[in-house]
Amino acid sequence: MIVEVRYFAVLRERAGLAAESVETAVGTAAELYDELAARHAFDLPRTLLRVAVNEEFADWSHRLSPGDRIVFIPPVAGG
Amino acid sequence: MQPFSLSPAPLTPETYRSALADRAAGGYASFEGRVRDHNEGRRVVRLEYEAFEELAVKEGERIVAEAMARYGVRRAACVHRVGGLDVGELAVWVGVAGTHRDEAFAACRYIIDEVKHRVPVWKLEHYSDGDSGWVACERCAAHEPGSPHAHEGDGSQSRHEVPDRAAFVHDYSRQVVLPEVGPGGQARLAAAAVLVVGAGGLGVPVLQYLAAAGVGRLVIVDGDRVEPSNLHRQPLYGVADVGRPKVEVAAERLEALNVDVTVEPRAVHATPDNVDALVRSCDLVVECTDNFRAKFLVSDAVVRAGKPAVFASVHQYEGQLQVYRPLPHWPCLRCLWPEAPRDGMVGNCAEAGVLGPVPATLGALEAMAALRRLLGLDAGDAPSLVMVDLSSLETRRIGARRDPRCDHDRPGGAPGLEADEMDLELEFATLTQALESGLELVDIRESWERAHDPPGLQIPTHVPLSELVKGHVEFPADGRYLIVCAHGVRSLSLVEHLRTQGRTGVHSLRGGLAVLRS
Ligand SMILES: [Zn+2]
Repeated sequence: MIVEVRYFAVLRERAGLAAESVETAVGTAAELYDELAARHAFDLPRTLLRVAVNEEFADWSHRLSPGDRIVFIPPVAGG
Repeated sequence: MQPFSLSPAPLTPETYRSALADRAAGGYASFEGRVRDHNEGRRVVRLEYEAFEELAVKEGERIVAEAMARYGVRRAACVHRVGGLDVGELAVWVGVAGTHRDEAFAACRYIIDEVKHRVPVWKLEHYSDGDSGWVACERCAAHEPGSPHAHEGDGSQSRHEVPDRAAFVHDYSRQVVLPEVGPGGQARLAAAAVLVVGAGGLGVPVLQYLAAAGVGRLVIVDGDRVEPSNLHRQPLYGVADVGRPKVEVAAERLEALNVDVTVEPRAVHATPDNVDALVRSCDLVVECTDNFRAKFLVSDAVVRAGKPAVFASVHQYEGQLQVYRPLPHWPCLRCLWPEAPRDGMVGNCAEAGVLGPVPATLGALEAMAALRRLLGLDAGDAPSLVMVDLSSLETRRIGARRDPRCDHDRPGGAPGLEADEMDLELEFATLTQALESGLELVDIRESWERAHDPPGLQIPTHVPLSELVKGHVEFPADGRYLIVCAHGVRSLSLVEHLRTQGRTGVHSLRGGLAVLRS
């Protein structure tokens, strides 16, 4: 399936892009992050991040569907 | 009629009132000031008003115009008497016609206060002992000798042409004219106290816009001094301020911006020792720091105090905005980030870099959220995290929910919270198991129900529900309790009630004593 992924803050920097369409065979949001973390060399542990699916915060165990809009959100502290 | 006039003849309120008649005005308010029989302990028998007519009329017209703009009323006028008056005679009259009563009252009050304060009318009082004396208008009296507000010659002339800060009226007309704001909203802002934690890139626009909008009291907490590297994103400060405490400079600038605002600078950082008192002293908290430690400290404190708060953070070209409201389903910062990140993990402005308009935008959004909260305009909002990307100009609202594992009764405390803490009802097979749960049992049955308890099933702590309902006894304040009744119905409703009071650690025994007996 193909899902739409957006990156924010440090993840965007690390990935070098703000958004991408991802072809994946994984089942859950957690598995998708792990797959993309390996591809983009993300070093932030998943426990520090939140994931949103279709504009709602979701659990990492959330099962993905084709076309889902996934946002990985790290906390930010600057001010 | 003229907005402001001086009358040597006795005032005729009936004529003025009909002159203000307006079919679109639902409210009419009037004030009548009369000559009283004493002043500063002396018996007054007569008095004479004298005015510098040209100046008085000009200033009076200005006041009436200000009131109309400020409160959006339809018609307003004021007449001041001059010449000799007896005790009890009408000295000044104000009338206002407005669409609603609120603005009519407010404008009427404004006009009389300002007229007493600013219009150069002074009076010669004649006392019962035959003596007499000039009494200056309030503003004349407030001035010190040698100031630009000097009286000339014999004191029968006065000048008011130099506006000073105290006399300047902040003009809120452009926001009061919004139907959602109005004079009532403006009064709410004036009555509000806001705590702003952090006077940096986010805090600067928050402070400027809240002060400009007329928020009555601003408490600013920041222990930093102005550094050269701050100026590119904190333009409230200038080169000459480098080295000075930020809150001190901010207080000066904000007071210069709006004299209506009371600014309380606190040149300290928020700490576990001071945060609760600071939060409790205000109606709303705007969190503007650049570190997780402070953000979670403030989040825990507002949850404890039950106060609304606005949070924002930025990273390079992006920002996040979150509003907390003390409602059962609203998430706090820990609900969103259960594993509180440590500072240095995901970068701050010093490490990651930032362009000034990014915190400026997020700070302006925080100020907007704060004003909406103070004005009560956010009632329909759902809890969310708003993400803003200043490069792509995309905004994204992510719906957020309260995390049931996040304890809002002990915010920030007790990591590894027991899952059953939120449960209203707990199940136990035997009384022994219930007693061993670590909860104290409270029997809320009536005395007559307890009379026939078998010897092994007696619960020492007895708080009869009928006495609780009447307010004759109080439920114990602290501790963790298992509330029991005969069948678990009354105990469940009591637990639900206590939870709405913000109590935690209270549970109902499911099925009641009947289950333990069977
Ligand atoms: Zn929470």
